[in-house]
Amino acid sequence: MIWQQLQSLAGSYPLALRGLGMTVVLSLISLVLGTLLGFGLGILRTGGNRLISGLIGAWVDLIRGTPFLVQIFLIFFILPEFGIELDAFTAGIIALTNLAACFICEIVVAGIRSVPTGQVEAALASGLSRWQRMRQVVLPQAMRIVLPPLVGQYVLLIKDSSVVSAIGLTDLTRVGWLVVQRVPNGLLVFFLVGVGYFIVCYPLIMLARRLERRMGAAHGEVQL
Amino acid sequence: MTKTGMTKTGMIDFRGVNKWFGSLNVLKDITLSVEPKEVVVVCGPSGSGKSTLIRCVNGLEAIKDGDLVVDGQRLGDPATNMTQLRTEIGFVFQSFNLYPHKTALENVTLAPIHVRKIPRAEAEKAGRELLAKVGLADKVNAYPAQLSGGQQQRVAIARCLGMRPKIMLFDEPTSALDPEMISEVLDVMVAVAEEGMTMMVVTHEMGFARKVAQRVVFMDAGAIVESGTPEEFFSHPKTDRSRAFLSKILRH
Repeated sequence: MIWQQLQSLAGSYPLALRGLGMTVVLSLISLVLGTLLGFGLGILRTGGNRLISGLIGAWVDLIRGTPFLVQIFLIFFILPEFGIELDAFTAGIIALTNLAACFICEIVVAGIRSVPTGQVEAALASGLSRWQRMRQVVLPQAMRIVLPPLVGQYVLLIKDSSVVSAIGLTDLTRVGWLVVQRVPNGLLVFFLVGVGYFIVCYPLIMLARRLERRMGAAHGEVQL
Repeated sequence: MTKTGMTKTGMIDFRGVNKWFGSLNVLKDITLSVEPKEVVVVCGPSGSGKSTLIRCVNGLEAIKDGDLVVDGQRLGDPATNMTQLRTEIGFVFQSFNLYPHKTALENVTLAPIHVRKIPRAEAEKAGRELLAKVGLADKVNAYPAQLSGGQQQRVAIARCLGMRPKIMLFDEPTSALDPEMISEVLDVMVAVAEEGMTMMVVTHEMGFARKVAQRVVFMDAGAIVESGTPEEFFSHPKTDRSRAFLSKILRH
């Protein structure tokens, strides 16, 4: 029986590849956009404007404090009520980008705040503009703190992308649901789905670990 | 060092400046004028407000009331472009504050390239010359973590000089240094002073004060208690507080 199931599974591999491809494409686009947006939000959050900073803080808390599934439903099912029709792919990208941006914003804020005040004062004293201080002095130093958790966050977000299957996107998780209807062995099917995610995530886990070790070692040399 | 009757020629003019941290009056009615090319040493016990005083000059601290006019521009005035004014004022920190991710040369050339818009090649040539001038020609490509404290502080001075400032402010530049490194930094500061830089120096290095300062200002509890030539101040301090302070720092 297991032999038949394996044969049947092997027949589903084009579907599985499509699902894996969807998961990778969705994650990749959302992570790139989310990183850009997250850095922008993080920089604004630490900027001088209290109103903007407060608004971003509230939004980040809201997103971090609600389930991702609920956010996706709101975007996909509620927005059309207000005349904004989105296809599942766009809705998935928006939801995942927003989630990524909020988590990355918090990481970036922590990184920026870790840079000693004296660094900003030195940059200020030599007449660098706000953007130059950020670009030349603060961000390069913040990156040491930001990079390891950033890559770690990517892993979490790739796994969170599985939630988009709930609005009908044929990602790796949904492929699992489809296949399990033909091959009634949930353990086997979802074991393979898990392996699929692991293959995507493991290189990033290794990267995060390497970055952490490298940053840790470099930190010893730098006296501020 | 002349004062005309009608207009102030001071490069830095404090007129009745007050500042509070919460309810603490950290600067009390400061009136002080520093002439172009003058070197003023500010000393006083810890917590007397001397660092705050010079941090006000480039706007790292804001003043509460009174007037502070630097290079003809009134601080706090909406017409004063603070970023522009800061390019004319070098500031040397007690803890150096070099950029740890940039080499000595990059530390020196960063502001000239990005703020003064000097072409990179030209800025690097000038930067190398400045580092050579402070005795670090061989450390051009070293990172701050690879330099001793004295070397870092000399890079920090070169970083300020790279902007060709009109004024240099020093906030206890040798306090964080091991004793054997103090003189290499003071030597550079003496050279800068002798080239005619307007300087305010917070320091307890009395040898430096005697050598290059025109004036020593003694502060206590946020106020200027005494002001005079180094000779007057060290030999004939006028107040009990300055006598007590001098007896402490000159004992060793």
